[in-house]
Amino acid sequence: MMDELELLKKDWQKQGEQLPKLSYEEIYKMIWKKSSSLVKWIFYICIAEFLFWIIISVLPINSGEIGGKGADFVKVTDWILQVVFFLVIIYFAYQFYQNYRKISVTDSARDLMKKIIRTRKTVMQYVWFNVGLFAFTMIIVLLEVLVFDPPQELMERISTADSTLLAWLLVGIFFAISIAFFGLLFWLFYRLIYGILLKRLNDNYRELKRLEV
Amino acid sequence: MNKELEHQFVTELENNQNIVHKVCSLYTNNRDAHNDLFQEITIQLWKAYPKFRGDSKFSTWMYRVALNTAITLYRKSKKRVRTQDYDAVIFKIKADEYDDTQERQLKLMYNAIRQLGDIEKALVFLYLEDKNYTEIAETLGITEVNARVKMNRVKNKLRTILNP
Repeated sequence: MMDELELLKKDWQKQGEQLPKLSYEEIYKMIWKKSSSLVKWIFYICIAEFLFWIIISVLPINSGEIGGKGADFVKVTDWILQVVFFLVIIYFAYQFYQNYRKISVTDSARDLMKKIIRTRKTVMQYVWFNVGLFAFTMIIVLLEVLVFDPPQELMERISTADSTLLAWLLVGIFFAISIAFFGLLFWLFYRLIYGILLKRLNDNYRELKRLEV
Repeated sequence: MNKELEHQFVTELENNQNIVHKVCSLYTNNRDAHNDLFQEITIQLWKAYPKFRGDSKFSTWMYRVALNTAITLYRKSKKRVRTQDYDAVIFKIKADEYDDTQERQLKLMYNAIRQLGDIEKALVFLYLEDKNYTEIAETLGITEVNARVKMNRVKNKLRTILNP
C-alpha cells in the first residue's frame, strides 16, 4: 500500500504535461466573470427572506373590518408589535451583515464552513422570530374575534350544541390544526431550500468536527 | 495601479495553474464541470488577491483558496449533459512509461481516490503535493495529530477499496 501511494505521488507530480494549459488571455477573461458561489446564493436568499417578512408586515390585512370594542385592543397590540418587529429587524440585519463580512475564502476549510453556518443561523433565527410573531398575531386576532366580536352564527351553534365544552374543544382543535399545517409547510419549504443548498457543507463540516472529538 | 495588479495576478495564476487544474480534476467528473470550477476558483482567487500580502508563497495561498472553493463554495452547475467520465484526460498514464502492472495499479488508485469524500480528497491531494502535516492541518483547520490520524484512515480506506 505504501509503495502504491509513493508510486502515485511520483506519477502525480509528473502529470504536468497532461494537464490543460490556459493562456494569459483566457485567465484574464475569467477574472471578470460573475461568481456563482454558495455564499452568493445564501446572501441572495437571506436578502429575499428579509424583504419577504418586511413586505408581509407592511401589507394591510383586513384592518378595515375590525371595529367596535376590539379595535383599540388590536390597534395597541399591533402598534407594539410593529415597533418590536422593526427593532428586531435592525438587530438581525446588523448581525447578518457582521457575520457575512467575516466569511473569507482564505480561512481554513473548517473556519470557512463555520462562518457560513453561523451566518445562515442568524437568518434562521430571524425566520423563526417571524414565524413566532405571525402565530402570535393570529392568536391576537383570534382573541379579538372570540372575545369582542364573536360571530353570531358560531356562538349560536355552540350554545345550542349538546355539549358546549365539546364544541369549544372542536373550535380549538380546528385552529391548532391550521396553525400546525402552516408550520409544517414552512418547515418543508426551509428543508427544501437549505437542504439542497447546504447538505454538502453540513456533511463536510460534520466530518471535520468529528475528527476533533 | 489596478492594471498592474491585474497583470501581476494573471501572470502568477498562469504560472501556477497546474495546482488549480489538479484540484478541478479531483473534484469534478467532466470537462464542463472542470472548466466551471476552474473559473470559480479564479474568481475567488482574484477577489481575495488584494488582501494577499505575500507573507506566504503565492502557491501556498492558492492551495487554500482552491480547496475551499472546491469543497465549500462551488455549486455544481446544472448542465450536466455529458456524464461520460474524462479521467482519461487528466490521469492519462503513458503506457510506455510504466509496465502493465504499474499502470493498472495507478489507474486503480486514481479511481479509488475519486470515490473518497470531499475532505478525504483534500487530504490525499495535499499529501500527493508533498505538503507536510503542519500545512495540511492549517489548510483544513484541524490539529496536526488529527491530520495524521485522518490520513491513516484514508490510507486504510483506499486499501479496502483496492482490495475488496
